[in-house]
Amino acid sequence: MKALQTKIVALAASLLVAACGGSGGSADTTPAIKITSVKVFGDSIQDSGTFGYKFTVQTSDNLIFAERIAANYGQTLCNFYVFTGTTFAANSKAGCTNFAIGGGRVTYVGAGASAANPLNVGVQMATYAQIGTYSATDLVIVDGGGNDAADLVGAYLAVPKDKAASLSGLLGTLLTPTQIGTALAGGSAGIAAIGSTYMTALADKFYASIKASVLDKGASHVVVMNMPGITNTPRFQMVLNGIAAASGGGANGTAARAQSEALFKAWISAFNTELAAKVGSDDRVALIDFYTGFNDQVATPAQFGLTNATTPACPIVGVGSDGLPVYDFPKCTGAALSAAPPAGVTGGADWWKSYAFSDGFHPTPYGHQLTQQLIAKSLAAKGWL
Amino acid sequence: MKSKLLLGALVALMSAGGAMAQSAGSIVVYGGGAQITPHVDSGDLTAPSLPGTKVDVKKASQVVGGVVYMWTDNIGIDLPIGPGYKHKVVGAGAIADVGKLGTVSALPVTLLAHYRFGEATSTVRPYLGAGVTYARFFKPISTASMSGITGGTPANPTLLTMKSTGGPTAIAGVVVNVTGNWSVDLAVTKTFLKTTGSLSTGQTIETTLDPTSVKFGIGYKF
Repeated sequence: MKALQTKIVALAASLLVAACGGSGGSADTTPAIKITSVKVFGDSIQDSGTFGYKFTVQTSDNLIFAERIAANYGQTLCNFYVFTGTTFAANSKAGCTNFAIGGGRVTYVGAGASAANPLNVGVQMATYAQIGTYSATDLVIVDGGGNDAADLVGAYLAVPKDKAASLSGLLGTLLTPTQIGTALAGGSAGIAAIGSTYMTALADKFYASIKASVLDKGASHVVVMNMPGITNTPRFQMVLNGIAAASGGGANGTAARAQSEALFKAWISAFNTELAAKVGSDDRVALIDFYTGFNDQVATPAQFGLTNATTPACPIVGVGSDGLPVYDFPKCTGAALSAAPPAGVTGGADWWKSYAFSDGFHPTPYGHQLTQQLIAKSLAAKGWL
Repeated sequence: MKSKLLLGALVALMSAGGAMAQSAGSIVVYGGGAQITPHVDSGDLTAPSLPGTKVDVKKASQVVGGVVYMWTDNIGIDLPIGPGYKHKVVGAGAIADVGKLGTVSALPVTLLAHYRFGEATSTVRPYLGAGVTYARFFKPISTASMSGITGGTPANPTLLTMKSTGGPTAIAGVVVNVTGNWSVDLAVTKTFLKTTGSLSTGQTIETTLDPTSVKFGIGYKF
């Protein structure tokens, strides 16, 4: 009897505690699947510090999106490569699995270009495939192609100046001389079409690397970013404004600008369409629609907590040979930005924390957070988070 | 199938006859089970969020009990008591595919006045009633998915709270006085509730819950 009474009292007490206790929230932070290692391959947007800095505003907590995703699984990242000033050496710090390098491309054609240069994203993937293995507790994040698209646009814009020399060279990395010759003979329509053909071939190459060095090596949780609409970046908006000005401004300029923007977007879409077709319904891959996500952020910044999605937060330090502004990431620290809010901004010292862009091409830490949230949504939908 | 069984049981109980009256001054203590189904009409999560980020709250079942005090032969005061329901909160709208965002416990405290038709001695007494409910939400637990899609991490997870809130309740039911002091009670209640969910990121979401509850109980008159 005593025992029963005790039980009743205990029950009543627990009900009371349930009713009165804990209206504040708590969290069960255990992800849906266990991830013990995150491997990253790509370009500047995912580089954890190959050059000694990240391609965003420098702060002590400026996690880039890959690092934020890793954090969702309780993991951290560090750069596998270190730039020596001339080449890329392995980081002496053991256990680093972020292979992404600023300037990384699907096809690297710049200084020191070679089939073994880790500035080729495919080389990064092949390098890990040689030294390591994949298991079910590995998460892989791959991005690429953005710099290749920028190269294509640059070569296209240089056609009047260099008689299509650089364009022919770039196209030649993936297409046959016959294809290129026919296209160049076809004038602007031919060049527009060959751009899409090139971008499709680029997506094929990108996917083939992912398949050979990641999927076929046993990885079962692979995040693949599609190509963001780089035409929305401040850098490309300036390029487009330059096209408008070169056409005499006014209605002609507006038309020329719109035509070029549509052309570049069509090229990016060609890449993304082919990449999606290649990935298909592969359960092992979470294909992130970075293109649409980034477009939405730029089109409706307030919805995403952005106060500015057009102006870079970092100060301009010079003008490049292409006539576009130059920024200096190592000097663009959060402290420096907070100390000097530009006229008219809101948020006081935190003004830059709601900007989308750090320089003309890269997101702020908050921009990275928005991309992490975009990826997390896909991971949750796949039952991976 | 379930409703047929229930109906059968009711008929069997009714035919038992010889029920005792529930007249003025009687106190009936009852116990049973209930299932509460929120009919959620979610607003959009405030910025920063994907446009059209909504939530849904799933149904939950629980044992319930309660006390009815017959003030007159026809008017009863009903105070249901239960340990609270644990509801799953899932994504909807733009985040319909992300699954479980968390769980939240709800303890509805309701006070109802019934009007029971028929005589105090009737075997079958349908009733209608109205009252007020105060829903206390407690112990919200958010998931890793919730943290992920709102920019949180295990070290700094996104936490959820739901504002406790009140609203009017309507009830329709039937009491069958079975035999001796025993009775059976079946009721449907509808409560009109609006709450605000808040995230530790500073975002909020207005949500209409308007739950319907189906309750079955066996009562004993003292």
